[in-house]
Amino acid sequence: MLAYLKLRREDVIAGLITVAVGLFILTEAFDYRLGTLTRMGPGYFPMLLGVCMCLLGAVLLVFAEPGGRSESESEGSNLRGVLMVTAAFLAFALLIERVGMVPAIFVAVFLASLSNRTTSLLTAAMLAVGTALSCWLIFSLLLGLQIKAFW
Amino acid sequence: MELLNNLALGLSVAASLGGLAYCFLGVTLGTLVGVLPGIGTMATLAMLLPITYHLEPNFALIMLAGIYYGAAYGGSTASILLNLPGTATSAVTGIDGYPMARKGQAGVALFMTAVASFVGSMFGVVLLSLFSVPLARVALEFGPQEYFSLMFLGLIAAALIGSGRSIRSLAAVTLGLALGLVGIDLNSGVARFAFGMPEFYDGLSLVAVAIGLFGLPEIISSAGRIIKAPMDTKDITLRSMLPSREQWRRSAMPMARGSGIGAFFGALPGTGGVVATFISYATEKKLSKHPEEFGKGAIEGIAAPESANNAAVQAAFIPTLSLGIPGDPVMAIMLGVMMVHGILPGPNVISGSPDLFWGLVMSFVIGNIFLMILNLPLIGIWVRILSIPYHLLFPVIVAFVCIGIYSVNFQVMDIYVLLAFGFFGWGMKALNFEVAPLLLGFVLGPMMEENFRRALVVSNGEIATFLTRPISGVIMGASLLIIAWFTVAGLRRALSRRGGYRDEQNA
Repeated sequence: MLAYLKLRREDVIAGLITVAVGLFILTEAFDYRLGTLTRMGPGYFPMLLGVCMCLLGAVLLVFAEPGGRSESESEGSNLRGVLMVTAAFLAFALLIERVGMVPAIFVAVFLASLSNRTTSLLTAAMLAVGTALSCWLIFSLLLGLQIKAFW
Repeated sequence: MELLNNLALGLSVAASLGGLAYCFLGVTLGTLVGVLPGIGTMATLAMLLPITYHLEPNFALIMLAGIYYGAAYGGSTASILLNLPGTATSAVTGIDGYPMARKGQAGVALFMTAVASFVGSMFGVVLLSLFSVPLARVALEFGPQEYFSLMFLGLIAAALIGSGRSIRSLAAVTLGLALGLVGIDLNSGVARFAFGMPEFYDGLSLVAVAIGLFGLPEIISSAGRIIKAPMDTKDITLRSMLPSREQWRRSAMPMARGSGIGAFFGALPGTGGVVATFISYATEKKLSKHPEEFGKGAIEGIAAPESANNAAVQAAFIPTLSLGIPGDPVMAIMLGVMMVHGILPGPNVISGSPDLFWGLVMSFVIGNIFLMILNLPLIGIWVRILSIPYHLLFPVIVAFVCIGIYSVNFQVMDIYVLLAFGFFGWGMKALNFEVAPLLLGFVLGPMMEENFRRALVVSNGEIATFLTRPISGVIMGASLLIIAWFTVAGLRRALSRRGGYRDEQNA
């Protein structure tokens, strides 16, 4: 039994997650009024979706097939890229309403450029300054976007 | 006659100075993002959203549409020269385009790509101008049943056709539909799946979700990459690009078939360019007298999918503009821009704003002519652009994407949504789920629920109403046939595998 599951790990995990998501949708749906088929409440359609998810997950489990390594793992080792780009977006989100667009863009671009190991700190800083100033020029001065540029 | 008048009206919009300028800007940008691997159409649209609010709706749509079909042209350049598809729809072109380039026929491949793209596009535009008006007229009679059935068919087709893992795709669609429901239910005022956060009351931001799922992985993988300069391209002269008579002859029929296949899958909401390119490639391989050449530089292998891809892109405007059903996320953004400018998507758009519809149609013609010029005599520029310092371009894109997404609602939460969906999409891919069906479900979720509810109100809770109304019944019947087909095929495969497994154990 254990060997059976291990061989089919890929499909079994996918099936279990699908069922779990389905159950989650169902519990949420039952929190809202279901209503009847003629007068549907806000919970009815989500309930149908939850049932579908559970059924699909069950089918995945029942018909689990061996093998099937993930195909997308070839580029998986780019940890630096993941970390720096995530950090760039996070920095923008945290800074935009506190210190304004220009500093936020500066930090975001600086962090994002460091995701490539060949970019030097100086290049990153110069690129960040250039981008921040261009954004200020385009969005604040030219387009009059309602984002405050500085703190 | 009416058609001629309409086309003249369209021409007056599209050929005005503003129309020409924004069309040119759109197709040039489209070619640029198409050529550069890793910058998707969605990310580009997101970057430009702040600008479109300032434009007249006609010009805004002409520009956005230009990016959309311009990218369909440009995508094949990197596919052929680097075997690195610039857009998802041009992946198939690389199968035969790259071998051709290695044989020294890069010029011919690029030339044929441009010609096939033009043929496919024009076919799509002709269909759009012929069928949208009658379709919109019929659609005025559509009830919620027909709308629901159409979207159901679109989702089923998108999940099952061209996907090797049907059950996973269906699960992705279902989850997408549920994600589309996040926010306040308009009928009851109940906030669903919002977890008490007011930022979610208006639903998840489409741009943030789409870029999280598709754009973020691309940005991350491209930011770390250093592109090798493309092979020596100095010898791509116009003369070396001209295909031989034999190559013309071999490409003609594949282009015709590709256009047909592309237009069909493009017009069906849900399926689009990606499916069309794969199916037209498979068709040509099956019909060819020398299938062994496919994958080694068969010119049919680029002519067919390229025409299919572009026909699909243009045909995708048919359901979008005549029914108000967006066939893919890009179309949903276009409809969103229309709504920002106070135009309600649906069958009334064509009669209510004829200048917008026909202006768009004529701008497609003009835009495709621009694209021929950009992609034939000027192809050298785009080839050279492939060797720009990538690692310096991507941080700038991150900045513009940030501002673009933030400017839609001025909500910091949307940036977090983008990040969350980036990781979510990564997890889905790790378990071999596709993210495209999820996004489609997300786009159609609210419309589907709305029409489902209304259909059952008008039919007094009679669920059979989807089958008993003639038009809806035909569409529903087709969807059920597709489901039955895939169920039988799936069961048969599962049974035969299980039998094989048992034999192995016995042996």
